[in-house]
Amino acid sequence: MNQAEVSKLVSKLRMNIKPEHRRLKNLKGPEGRIDKLRKTVTGLIKFERIELNINRGDEARQYAERLISEAIRHGDCHKPTMDMANFWLLEKQLVHKLFKVLVPRFENSTVSYTKMIKAPKAQNTEHTNKIVLELRGNPYPDLIVKQPNNRLWIQNVLLDAAKYDYRQSKISEIAANIGKDTQLSSSSLTANNKGGTQKEES
Amino acid sequence: MFPRFIQVVQHLKNLERSILLSLFGHPPKELALAVSVNQQPKPTPKAFSIHDLIGDGFLLAVPKFRRTVEKRLNRKFGWPEYVWKPFVPKTNLKTCHECGHHHEQGRLCGNCYKKIGKETKEIQGEILKKLGSGPIEQDVIVLYEGETLPDQQKEFWKGKRIVEMKKERPQWFSKNLLQKSTQQPSKSTDVKPTDLA
Repeated sequence: MNQAEVSKLVSKLRMNIKPEHRRLKNLKGPEGRIDKLRKTVTGLIKFERIELNINRGDEARQYAERLISEAIRHGDCHKPTMDMANFWLLEKQLVHKLFKVLVPRFENSTVSYTKMIKAPKAQNTEHTNKIVLELRGNPYPDLIVKQPNNRLWIQNVLLDAAKYDYRQSKISEIAANIGKDTQLSSSSLTANNKGGTQKEES
Repeated sequence: MFPRFIQVVQHLKNLERSILLSLFGHPPKELALAVSVNQQPKPTPKAFSIHDLIGDGFLLAVPKFRRTVEKRLNRKFGWPEYVWKPFVPKTNLKTCHECGHHHEQGRLCGNCYKKIGKETKEIQGEILKKLGSGPIEQDVIVLYEGETLPDQQKEFWKGKRIVEMKKERPQWFSKNLLQKSTQQPSKSTDVKPTDLA
């Protein structure tokens, strides 16, 4: 009963992680791989939206998520977390950004801190499988619009045209009837009144 | 296959003959048939030279055997399960709701992404210029030309850095993005007057 809640002890990232890491072909081996990933994580924190090859992007995303989640859990007075931030962020102004901008932004977040979206296939290049990696809550225009503008759908274009035609015809009809004798309208009004009274009686 | 087999058999025959000749030599002349032939002086054989055949020209490497039809077709079109060389129609194309261009399912629309990417780069440039090299301690809010701070709670604007773009807000970049997540639920019961003008 006196046990602490396990979910609070373990920081769980809100994204899928592959059982094995990617090797990211590099002459220097694992060291070179980490160097590559450090550059990418730095870029992500700096620009908040970057375009990458899928392997490198997905791999760097995991480290960025972990870094932010550690920063949120422990804060900036925790030595190991600070060392971690110092290692992963090559530009030291970004260490400030991590603790003073990103931690408040993501403190109460219930979803992942980053978003990975597949970019259109690049042509005439070696690597065609590109992705866009971004931090949530960035100031840039959204990549995916949730409520799409469907005015351009062919059905809606046709319906709009039909509505316009219908209104035009109605307007021209009314315009033609304006100058005509008022007897018709008055008689129709009395007829309506009669109908109303009959209904009331019944 | 078959021509190659015949060629191998021929080679073996030649080999056998040369081995037998080298071991036992020709049969003795006493066993030969006696035939009287008018002896004519033989022309002395000239040593064979490749230049007699080609003269000033040169030889190219040429195929030795014919390729079968199956092999030729496989080389031309590939095999569907492995490498299929002709073009295959794509079945995962969709129409973008925003602009009507076609894009692959599960990927961003190329046309929209180009537009958004360009705008993103411009904003990134402005932000970098504004932030400089000092420590980054404030979140950034982007305002376009002719825009004022929307009337929000003061707490919302506290500790935020405003970056101004030197152009008008693009039509497709909705202004409401700023207001959506931060709008406070209103408690006042006043009704705003409408249709005044």
